[in-house]
Amino acid sequence: METPYLVPVYATYAVITLGLTIFLARTLSKNGAIFLEDVFKDTPKLAGAVNTLLVVGFYLVNLGYAALIMKAEGAETSVAAVEVLAWKLGALLMSLAFMHFVNLFVFYRIRRRSRLAQLPPPVMPQMQMQMPVPQYFPQPTA
Amino acid sequence: MNVPTALTVLYDSSCALCIRCRDWLSRQDAFVPMRFMACGSKQAREIYGSVPWLGEELVVVSDHGDVWAGPAAFITALWALREWREWSYRISGPELAPLAERFFHAISSNRKTIAAIIAPDPCEGGTCRVPHAYR
Repeated sequence: METPYLVPVYATYAVITLGLTIFLARTLSKNGAIFLEDVFKDTPKLAGAVNTLLVVGFYLVNLGYAALIMKAEGAETSVAAVEVLAWKLGALLMSLAFMHFVNLFVFYRIRRRSRLAQLPPPVMPQMQMQMPVPQYFPQPTA
Repeated sequence: MNVPTALTVLYDSSCALCIRCRDWLSRQDAFVPMRFMACGSKQAREIYGSVPWLGEELVVVSDHGDVWAGPAAFITALWALREWREWSYRISGPELAPLAERFFHAISSNRKTIAAIIAPDPCEGGTCRVPHAYR
């Protein structure tokens, strides 16, 4: 089967995929950093590390998925070529959108978890007693 | 109420279920450190003798002297744990609180029976595993 348009389709697909993934990863890391700095106030290095790890995962999943869906059946006319390209990009964009929301959800969870650490007990004490002095404090186990 | 920075959990050391729960608690990652004391022990009676629920119900005391008993103590113990703080808020909300309370009372008042079913060892000889043995 002659598929004269397949190579241009692949080339365009590769360029757009790489561009989109890099653009999205940068946007994500730039804005995610603000989120993570707030969560890991005491350990700014950790914020940077988590951010980098998330971005690496984002790259891996996106580029891996883009490579998997690259193969096209054929494009005999220019119209078919455009259609094939549009279908591939659509599938890719949907997967990017999905990944994006997964990332947002992860950020949201991390932030909520860090807020939980500040909250007082949900129930009021039934009694207040005088604590004897000296008080025995349990030592936090390492 | 001051936010506790440490908790003392006073449990019934004569019931195997309570000991299991204590061990489970001590194995969890906690936001605030917890120490465990048998409610019948001399030390517990000396320090917490003024708590009317001591020995009857689960009692949790913060380092500031706030005392929770029964279902509230159960919720406060959950609150101390990293994985369960969210649940402590969930089950103390208006929808789940009555259910959680009934559940806790049912477990707590039948603890000897339940313990006999799940773990026939009454632990009288002091042969129960200490918490760190599970790690």
